[in-house]
Amino acid sequence: MSLYNDSQAKASCGFGLIAQLKGVQSQELIKTAISALTRMTHRGAINSDGKTGDGCGITIQLSQSFFTPIAQSMGASVDSLLAVGQIFLNPDEAIASQSKKILEKELRRETLQVIGWRNVPINKDVCGEVAKKSLPKIEQIFINAPMGWGKDDFERRLFMARRRAADKISDEQYYVCSLSNKLVVYKGLVIPKNLGHFYPDLTSEKMQSAICLFHQRFSTNTAPHWKYAQPFRYLAHNGEINTINANRTWAKCRRKKLYTPLIPDLPQLSHLVNQSGSDSSSLDNMLEVLLVGGMDIFRALRLLVPPAWKKRKNMDMHLRAFYEFNSMHMEAWDGPAGIVMTNGEKIACTLDRNGLRPARYVITKDDILTVASEVGVWEYNEQDVVEKDRVGPGEMLAADIVKGEIWRTNKIDDMLKNRQPYYEWLRENTIRLRSNRKLERAGADNYIADDLKNISIYQKLFNLSIEESGQVLKVMANNSQEATSSMGDDTPVAVLSQKSRNLYDYFRQQFAQVTNPPIDSLREKSVMSLETCLGQEHNLFQETNNLAYRAIISQPILNFAKLQQIKLLDQKYYQFNELSLNYPINESLETAITKLCDAAVTIVRNGCVILHLTDRDINEKMLPIHAALAVGAVNKRLIEKGVRLDVNIIVETGTVRDAHHFAVLIGLGATAIYPYLALQTINQLHLDNNLQSGLITARDNYFKSLKKGLLKILSKMGISTIASYRNACLFEIIGLHQSVMDLCFYRMNSRIGGATFDDLHNDNLKNHQSAYNDQMHIQRSGQLKYVHGGEYHSYNPDVVSLLQKAVNSADISDYKLFAKAVNKRPVATLRDLMGLKLADKPLQDSQVEATGEILKRFDSAAMSIGALSPEAHEALAIAMNTIGGRSNSGEGGEDPKRFNTLKNSKIKQVASGRFGVSAHYLVHAEVIQIKVAQGAKPGEGGQLPGNKVTMEIAKLRNASVGTTLISPPPHHDIYSIEDLSQLIFDLKQVNPKALISVKLVSGPGVGTIAAGVAKAYADMITIAGHDGGTGASPLSSVKYAGNPWELGLAETHQALIENNLRDKICLQVDGGLKTGLDVIKGAILGADSFGFGTGPMVALGCKYLRICHLNNCATGIATQNKTLREFHFHGLPEKVICYFKFVADEVRYWLAKLGAKSLDELIGRTDLLELLTGDTSKQSHLDLSDILAAAKRPDSQISAAHYLHQRNQPFDKGLLNEQILKDFKSLESTKNISLKYQIKNYDRSVGAKVSGYIASNYGFNKGHDSSKKYDKNINDQAVRLKIEFKGVAGQSFGVWNHQGVELSLQGDANDYVGKGMSGGLISIYPTGNIQYIPSRSAIIGNTCLYGASGGKLFAAGQAGERFAVRNSGAITVLEGVGDHACEYMTGGVVVILGPVGENFAAGMTGGKAFVFDDFELLEQKANLETIEIISLAENVNEEHEEELKQLLQEHIEKTGSRWVQKIVDNFDNYIDGFKVVVPKVTHKNKKAEPLKLIQSISSVRGSRHV
Amino acid sequence: MSEIKNKYVIGDALSFLKESRKLAPKRKAKSRTDDFSEIYQIKKESDLVIQADRCLDCGNPYCEWKCPIHNYIPNWLELVANQQFDKAAALMHQTNPLPEICGRVCPQDRLCEQACTLNTGLGAVTIGEIEKNIADFALNNDWRPDLSRVKNTGKKVAIVGAGPAGIACAELLVRNGVRAIVFDKYPEIGGLLTFGIPEFKLEKSILVKRRIFLEDLGVKFVLNTEIGKDKHIQDLQNEFDGVFLGMGTYRAVDGNLPGRENKGVIAALDYLIGNVNQQKNYQMVDSHYYDLKNKNVIVLGGGDTAMDCVRSAVRQKAKSVTCVYRKTEVEMPGSRTEVKNAKEEGVKFIFNLQPIAIKSSSNNKLESIDFERTNFDVLKHKDEVVNLQAESVILAFGFRANPAKWFEQSGISTDTSGLVSTLPNTGKTTATNIYAGGDMVSGADLVVTAIAQGRGAAKQILNDLEVLNDLF
Repeated sequence: MSLYNDSQAKASCGFGLIAQLKGVQSQELIKTAISALTRMTHRGAINSDGKTGDGCGITIQLSQSFFTPIAQSMGASVDSLLAVGQIFLNPDEAIASQSKKILEKELRRETLQVIGWRNVPINKDVCGEVAKKSLPKIEQIFINAPMGWGKDDFERRLFMARRRAADKISDEQYYVCSLSNKLVVYKGLVIPKNLGHFYPDLTSEKMQSAICLFHQRFSTNTAPHWKYAQPFRYLAHNGEINTINANRTWAKCRRKKLYTPLIPDLPQLSHLVNQSGSDSSSLDNMLEVLLVGGMDIFRALRLLVPPAWKKRKNMDMHLRAFYEFNSMHMEAWDGPAGIVMTNGEKIACTLDRNGLRPARYVITKDDILTVASEVGVWEYNEQDVVEKDRVGPGEMLAADIVKGEIWRTNKIDDMLKNRQPYYEWLRENTIRLRSNRKLERAGADNYIADDLKNISIYQKLFNLSIEESGQVLKVMANNSQEATSSMGDDTPVAVLSQKSRNLYDYFRQQFAQVTNPPIDSLREKSVMSLETCLGQEHNLFQETNNLAYRAIISQPILNFAKLQQIKLLDQKYYQFNELSLNYPINESLETAITKLCDAAVTIVRNGCVILHLTDRDINEKMLPIHAALAVGAVNKRLIEKGVRLDVNIIVETGTVRDAHHFAVLIGLGATAIYPYLALQTINQLHLDNNLQSGLITARDNYFKSLKKGLLKILSKMGISTIASYRNACLFEIIGLHQSVMDLCFYRMNSRIGGATFDDLHNDNLKNHQSAYNDQMHIQRSGQLKYVHGGEYHSYNPDVVSLLQKAVNSADISDYKLFAKAVNKRPVATLRDLMGLKLADKPLQDSQVEATGEILKRFDSAAMSIGALSPEAHEALAIAMNTIGGRSNSGEGGEDPKRFNTLKNSKIKQVASGRFGVSAHYLVHAEVIQIKVAQGAKPGEGGQLPGNKVTMEIAKLRNASVGTTLISPPPHHDIYSIEDLSQLIFDLKQVNPKALISVKLVSGPGVGTIAAGVAKAYADMITIAGHDGGTGASPLSSVKYAGNPWELGLAETHQALIENNLRDKICLQVDGGLKTGLDVIKGAILGADSFGFGTGPMVALGCKYLRICHLNNCATGIATQNKTLREFHFHGLPEKVICYFKFVADEVRYWLAKLGAKSLDELIGRTDLLELLTGDTSKQSHLDLSDILAAAKRPDSQISAAHYLHQRNQPFDKGLLNEQILKDFKSLESTKNISLKYQIKNYDRSVGAKVSGYIASNYGFNKGHDSSKKYDKNINDQAVRLKIEFKGVAGQSFGVWNHQGVELSLQGDANDYVGKGMSGGLISIYPTGNIQYIPSRSAIIGNTCLYGASGGKLFAAGQAGERFAVRNSGAITVLEGVGDHACEYMTGGVVVILGPVGENFAAGMTGGKAFVFDDFELLEQKANLETIEIISLAENVNEEHEEELKQLLQEHIEKTGSRWVQKIVDNFDNYIDGFKVVVPKVTHKNKKAEPLKLIQSISSVRGSRHV
Repeated sequence: MSEIKNKYVIGDALSFLKESRKLAPKRKAKSRTDDFSEIYQIKKESDLVIQADRCLDCGNPYCEWKCPIHNYIPNWLELVANQQFDKAAALMHQTNPLPEICGRVCPQDRLCEQACTLNTGLGAVTIGEIEKNIADFALNNDWRPDLSRVKNTGKKVAIVGAGPAGIACAELLVRNGVRAIVFDKYPEIGGLLTFGIPEFKLEKSILVKRRIFLEDLGVKFVLNTEIGKDKHIQDLQNEFDGVFLGMGTYRAVDGNLPGRENKGVIAALDYLIGNVNQQKNYQMVDSHYYDLKNKNVIVLGGGDTAMDCVRSAVRQKAKSVTCVYRKTEVEMPGSRTEVKNAKEEGVKFIFNLQPIAIKSSSNNKLESIDFERTNFDVLKHKDEVVNLQAESVILAFGFRANPAKWFEQSGISTDTSGLVSTLPNTGKTTATNIYAGGDMVSGADLVVTAIAQGRGAAKQILNDLEVLNDLF
């Protein structure tokens, strides 16, 4: 066992397809496809040897001209259909022939004739070392069908034979790339340009195809497998299926349900989809089952990857019915997905509902359709293009090349919705259960009358503390959202705690980072749904009326009314049975669970459809089985017995209170939950006059907050619908014993063992004893805040006071008292269970490396100016710079006055909000840190509350005073690993000197991700623990997400070593570090560098008040309040310096004691740690040996065990950028420089290098503030550089464009145009003499102008998704945008002269947009929460019109747009179509403050929302 | 939520900045020295609410941490801010049987209010005053905790001494269904609270109210009964399931000062008790009343007892009252507030003087005291003697243990200074079923420390009697 598991490898990539739509096959097309693939090499990973890639491949039609002669030479029949299988075999001849025999046998069972085998010619020389080592034997099998069979029959039997054979062949290497009479897949571990060299077949003139599907992979590990290369048998996928766990589990459940007369033997298969390996391959499996089962590709793809239909306001009801009906039988396969597929006759490309992967297409006049991740992947003639666009979110583009038809989304949907009377079926058979206030009121009264007397028994039995009811439930009931907290979690994880904790505390939510993005569940809720279905699931091949017998609830959270209605449903279809979770006190917990499972199976076999588990019937002689244990075990057993789809599990439990609790049960398989104890507690709060509103409203508020919380938890994993979350088990368990895992939570990881059934039983017993003893008080618990006698807190008053005393007195003996209080605390972290083995002979003081060397390894953690007061932020910078460490700007930008002074933050952070991130900012960094996730709230965004946005902060962030500023959960330019690679490339182009650091949060699989990050050419990786601090975070995120860093650090260290990347990466640990001993243990577990957050804050005077989010920090640190900053901030850099020197001294002390001269020497020396047994039974059941094993130095020194300060240089040298910079420098003295270049799609981040150079040499002219007012002339600049390009620009064209740089491009551009632009100008326009209409075509890709803060962009065409997200100052004109445009925008002007996608201007709080909305669709498409839409014609503000006209004029000047010329020429006729979009009257914001204040009164103190 | 005063909104995150720390007004120094009534005026409810609302509700409640009994201070401040006074009182009583007394006599400026986060220039929350007022409200309204669900365990425990330790022990026991019978040699409960602390700090009516409260809860007081004299310890051991001793320390420290035998030299406690006895007419036989009217009085010592003495003397209309302390002002062990009050009332303070002898006239009339200076660094002549005139001298050097004679035969061990030895955190003495706490264990200390020990012992007793395991 080890922490890092390379089978968790994740992949992403470039993909595409080229097809001749009339079905004309040619070798030319294959050549073009391979060259197109080659031109996307940068989207895959590539090793420094230039040979080793992560795999690529191509699917082509089974070329008769190539294969038939070969088959005939083997003796094939001329008249029968021919199939060819492309197969990877074990290089061991004997094993290979065994596999071949089995396959042949299975084929013969299908009455198919095996003609023979062909060794596929290959050229090994083009393989890299890794590829060569794992190279399989590659052979083709030739098969004839019996006479008279149709092509589809043949495919089906090939499928069954192949799957049966696979079940029987145990050889891991055996893999069938394809086995079909329609298509063949050639793939391997080579880089694209060598694919044709590796397989000479592909370049044979006889090899011809009208369809080519191609794919290039970027895997997170360096030893990828041949079989993981794509395309798979039907599809190629770019992205990641976030819902894969649920999909796989449900596929398992469905195995016995699926029936199709076309393959009656389908249930014989051992599994429908593979349960491990690549997510894409599982999707491919499922698609294959659907297709061979007789479904057409349209329904199949729309079923698997549906668009966001639920909340689309303008969707046709019949189409909605189609999706709703299908959603009852298949949960969405969701996540970033660009999918291309073919069955050899039809082709299709589809995108996930969020459009998180790019897909651009071009049709040329010779009927060649190209779809790919990028535009411009081969050299077609621009004048031949007849259509050019992109596939949008949830859209599908398909073609039937036999019939020569093209199908676009609308046509496909129209066809699908009319196939069956879905709408009527639903209308007649589907019931919606709704809340019923009257019933709810009756229920509430009922409780109050009867149950409330005993509430304290329930509360004690189910461990509901006073703190929880006051700080969690009360806030939810009052504010309809969960409480906010700050400073992070400084308590022990559940298993280490000395207290008895709720079992849910052992569950840590998984979250998306790097390889997939989280979703913003607030601003992008249009794509999300919690709708839940009750009733039996049926065979999805059979589309009939009675399949719609379902009861629908809008969310899996039951109230009294809904539970009553469920009980009263027609028993014919919804038989309701109840099982109690309470077991006799003298029985063992394990036995009780097993009995419960037995009972559940019996009941379900007797027709139960609604299985109601309840722990409500408590009594003095019984103990409750925790609902999580029960649901986990019952669900598992029902799946094993094949009856899971017959039943829904409804849970009525006292254990469930907050959204995390719900998520755990749903993740374990529960259908819906009734939180009776939480509701009773709200009743109690109501009776005690603790609520602001009436009881029913308070209960509604509580439900609302649960709903928001659940959506947030889903979105953290990038999952959109609850159906795809249910049964997905997206948690890691910290601290449960394997026996518990096996019985209840078998699909989750628990890597360090922990509490046994007996431990859990004893906790239960303790609660029970107190429950039935009236004298025992309900606990205060102290989980959230220190309370005497409650949970241990690492930053308790003693620790804080001692540290402050030490830095104030600067006396080492005071520091020693502090260090002792920390180092000898009760076990609070995993490292506390690891003791040091001191050397027999300690070193002399002089033998140990100097304090200065150690101090260099210390960084202060990212804290933004905004969260911190400028004084505190600067004091920190001065301190870190003085000791030779580095301070981190955080994500709020930095005042340029600080650059080049002692106050400069050497680490500049790039976070999702991109506040203040410009070329000028970036070039003043030694380290640029990409914050992918934050320990206190991984997978979530952040907010700077409006009251902290002072004039000063607003200026730094280009925002207006008093508006709340949002950092989105994802970086909108990182949806996938290759996107991160691109961002790193962007940063290395703009500042070639800086180290690029990526901050990750410890979570399962973080090692895999880190290896991928290293392959994406990062230089530094930070692993943050769950205990990291924060300025503000929802409580449940602080408590339930992220893992201890000990796990993540060791895993990452191991992954980097195994992948031979360790020496290139400076590995940093961050989270709760306080003393030298922490540093020592961090180093032993793999860290080169150390991030400190709270420690230096406390040294500066922070008293751990946990009120950072309220802007009232009494120590003047986390506040912008003038009085507090001026009169109550007493932090001096000297105190921080003193603290770090003490820590370094302590490090030296331990180094000497351990006999190690330096920290480098210590890295990976896990032999110096001994595992301690701990103080409690639970602690003693932990097994941390895997952590030590993972962090261990490798025995053979294949690579260094620590960072060697080598740069991790990208394979792509950015030659065009080099050229531009060289040319610019040679002309630097000239005033106006003009340059011209050709550009191709692999020329990426063009312009960045010269912008970076100019920014660092000429600075930034503050006089020009583009956000203020439209300014036609960019005057007074030091530099003026104009560069003209022709061709297709690669990603990130004009990224971080700087003042004085004008880029003009004739052609197309890909994603990220003008990202982070802070000045200058970019114009993009099409070539002359074109056949397509530019204003209706995509000219630039996704996520353009993301985080731009100035400058101008003119584009004569449309943009993709997420245009001008978080724009704070750029001015732009273009002719159409995709979904989510202008999201989070805080400044600048956006003019859109064409269509606008869904969710326009979500969360926009500044700037304005002009939209030409001729069809009056804007109102429906826009997210109206923060904006208002005004008609330009009716607007009284004449400035708007003037401004628009000027911009249109400039657009014409720069792009020659005919469409805009037309508008301008007839402006009076067009003016009616224009709308102005502005944030809801900005001056209201200031008035709004007192309002908010009044709301806050009610909220619990300390969790006041302002 | 209702508005408290014009434009004042409860829950404003910056209220601690907008509203300054305000204590209830004191009576004018001139008027208050005419009587022994309390000097602080009753605070308006609305002012309490505003002051309570200044609490930041810190993530680390330093006040609670510093408090020896770990009162849930932020929590009850919140209740007060929300005008839920009864609930606040109930919560106060969860950790403290005598909140109105702690609110008056605790040195908050060394404990909770000193630790308060706001006590760094912003002004600490007026915790003590809120505690006092809210508890007073509750008692005045005859508030009682709901003990209806407490089951009688049938056990009973004897408590010796009705001071803070004994009361704390007894109260926790009755709340858990154990009968508590408290014996005290004095005619009223409270021990030093009643007899040592003058009325201007703690009016005796408060103790009476508290006694009735405790009696309502089920505590039984047997007064005017001295163990070892009126009743034997063995009887208690035989009749009860356990015995708790909270007998305090009463032996005054005299510092071996030459001349201390003079009649004009008074032990602080004798002075204070005599004063209370006279005012309240308790008719205690052993007590002597000292009238200092028109006398020049010197009080030696710098603690809270010294302050009680100087301020009592002022009220007795002494001609002059001087407090002489051997160290510097900052080193004074008592509450700052009390020093301030004393100064206001006209007490003169002299620091850095160590008394070396009390001088009398030939007719044995006290005349003066000799001191030597202790701030040697500023001293030119090391052996300089300062002489101060006085007709009465009160020695307030503190108290020593006065172990009862029967300790030894009952098996209760004491240390060399006479303090009862107990197992840490349990109150268990070396004798079976005998527990002890308060000053007699820790030496003269704060009221709140005694309460903490009384409660600690009660928890141990409950544990040992198997009434509750692992309480709290």
